[in-house]
Amino acid sequence: MTSATLYIDRDAGLQRLHPLTKLVISLFLIVLALVIPNMWAGYIVFLLGVVPLALWGGILQPLWSALWKIVLPFAISMFVIQGLFWTGGTPVVELGPLSFKAEGLVFATTITGRLLAIMGSFLLLSLGTPPDDLMISLEERGVPNSVTYIVLSTMQLVPGLQVRAGKIRDAQRARGLETEGSILQRMRSMMPLVEPLVLGSIIDVDERAIALEARGFSREASKSFYRPVPDRRWEQILRWMLFIASILLIVLRIFWPLINRYYLGAG
Amino acid sequence: MDQLRKDFSTVTIALIVVALAINIVVGTIIFQLKVPFVYLDSIGTILVGLLAGPWAGLVTGILSNLLWGLLGNPGYVPYAPVAGVIGLMAGIFGSMGWFKSWWKWLLAGLITGLVAALLSAPITAYVYGGVTGAGTDLIVGMFRATGSSIMEAALGQGLITDLIDKTFSFFVVWLIVKALPTTLLTRFSRSQNVLEMGDVDLENILDQ
Amino acid sequence: MIIDLEDIAYAYPQATKPALRGITLSVPEGQFLAVVGGNRAGKSTLCYVLSGFIPHHFKGTYRGKIEVAGMDLTQSSLGEIAGKVGLVFSNPFNQISGARFTVEEEVAFGLENLGVPREEMHERVHRALETTGLAEVAGRSPYALSGGQQQRLALASMLVMEPQLLVLDEPTSQLDPAGKIEVFEVLNRLADEKVMTVVIVEHELEWIGDFADRVIVMHEGRIVNDGDPREVLVDEALVAMGVGNTAYTSVAREAREQGLVNNDGLLPVTLDQAVDFFSGT
Repeated sequence: MTSATLYIDRDAGLQRLHPLTKLVISLFLIVLALVIPNMWAGYIVFLLGVVPLALWGGILQPLWSALWKIVLPFAISMFVIQGLFWTGGTPVVELGPLSFKAEGLVFATTITGRLLAIMGSFLLLSLGTPPDDLMISLEERGVPNSVTYIVLSTMQLVPGLQVRAGKIRDAQRARGLETEGSILQRMRSMMPLVEPLVLGSIIDVDERAIALEARGFSREASKSFYRPVPDRRWEQILRWMLFIASILLIVLRIFWPLINRYYLGAG
Repeated sequence: MDQLRKDFSTVTIALIVVALAINIVVGTIIFQLKVPFVYLDSIGTILVGLLAGPWAGLVTGILSNLLWGLLGNPGYVPYAPVAGVIGLMAGIFGSMGWFKSWWKWLLAGLITGLVAALLSAPITAYVYGGVTGAGTDLIVGMFRATGSSIMEAALGQGLITDLIDKTFSFFVVWLIVKALPTTLLTRFSRSQNVLEMGDVDLENILDQ
Repeated sequence: MIIDLEDIAYAYPQATKPALRGITLSVPEGQFLAVVGGNRAGKSTLCYVLSGFIPHHFKGTYRGKIEVAGMDLTQSSLGEIAGKVGLVFSNPFNQISGARFTVEEEVAFGLENLGVPREEMHERVHRALETTGLAEVAGRSPYALSGGQQQRLALASMLVMEPQLLVLDEPTSQLDPAGKIEVFEVLNRLADEKVMTVVIVEHELEWIGDFADRVIVMHEGRIVNDGDPREVLVDEALVAMGVGNTAYTSVAREAREQGLVNNDGLLPVTLDQAVDFFSGT
């Protein structure tokens, strides 16, 4: 048991990129999906952005397998609820006493596409980037060491806590606790499972803080880096370009109605 | 500010790590138990707000949702501001001394649940079009069918869930803190929120 | 003197009586000092005083002078003390910072906080890994190690910072027998090499008899005995305090009382001393 990270290590192009480059690319794809005012924007960003990058990293299969589990239940809910119950919409498909409304279907399509793109970008980042590289490269650029410490330490603590939770569950079950069955039984099993786990963990905080202090954690001197993350010139340029492009796109989107009216003479 | 520096001491940082892990692990336990209306995925956040102040609570809430994202559940990320506000409010109620009487603390949970629902609704409406893929979407459908806007529908769904979940979460935190050794509680920057400060004779104790 | 404690009294917050009453202790540089005592004797409290966690972490009420490694610990911050005084305690899991994903980087973490230049860091880390026998697992996750390995990792993380004083509070008490042996091996090396001053709280009396330069006995917050290991550890009063005597001491005492051996010298603590005692030297 190591850490609760999703990172898939491959000797592939995507993995070799600097972590901040991947972060900026993911954010850029998210901006694209949100800014383009087209129903199919999300799908386009996903197919032309997320998928090729995932292929480049050899992670398309795990990415898709995680993604559809998130998006499918959502999409079904969305199409059914917004499609059938869109207030005052134009019926398009009859379903007995109910009917699917056009506006609802359009809305559902847009949102599902957006979700696909956004979640896909996020998964691209988490599957394709080692979290410690990402946090260290942020720390190299000024993010306080407490933030990177919190993220990485939590990721390493979670699996251990889950093992402890399992042991508590086994011990309680041996004492006769019911964790399956009626709602009441399951509800009653909540506290015996949760309380010992939380109490034990909070008590550990004391020693954990002492150990941190003994390692100079609260020292105010400037820190050095044991394993700096290598960067490349072209990646730095790419990051800046994507960043500027994102800002421009956002500005364009916000002011599009004005531009439309004054420069393009529309209504 | 001196209080801020104390609030973000090493003990707080260590507490935040444990709190975030608790959020994830307890949230998973409850999810696997399939208990309705209860998530219990913000116990850590509430604890940090109570023991280390509102700002630490805010940071914990936001990091909690971002971390869910990094761990493969990006669905929670847009709700980071709500999680942050939960920690913030736990800290504010703690500073107002509401932990010291059980009914005030439960009331604090109720109010926090209300605020959480109010803040979640616009996020659910904008990011997810009012639907989250969970079973409670049926409630959304019900509201939509009776003519509500997406926002109102999202609010209806969120309200019931958040009121129950947050009040219960505050209750669980109360139980936890009451069970912790008092010497441990003195380590935290806002220990005055949960302890009656000593009536021990400090002057002469060393001569005993 | 690397440690200079003068009439230290201390009470934890919310406590009704003090944990330390009038502790005065001077320790010269390079000494290997063992601390023994029963439960609630104040041994852990002493460790925290020596490393500055009392008063800075534990708060509470204190009185007296605390001078360690040339610093007045009450006036220095924990950040300043780190690197000068190292602390290892018994729970191996809680000493893993979790800040890094490999053993090697975990050891380096403290040096990063001190701002040590990179080349020097690599050299020091590899030395620390060699000393603690962790070189083969340098690339593994700290959480994938055994208890004994994790405790050696805690040791390595402190040793790498090259402190002037290393304080160990029952470093083997939560380990299985194999883990205990692993850690004692490292501690033996430390005792032999005399690189730094060491204060260790331990229950393995025979080991203390073999390796310590000096032993102090604590009881109810006070130091009740202080001196050469052999002289201190043969005291029968230790048994009532909950510390005990080694089997060699008990057997030798019994043998002498029964008239089975004619040796008026000091009772033995260790095996070698017992052999000498019974063969009449």
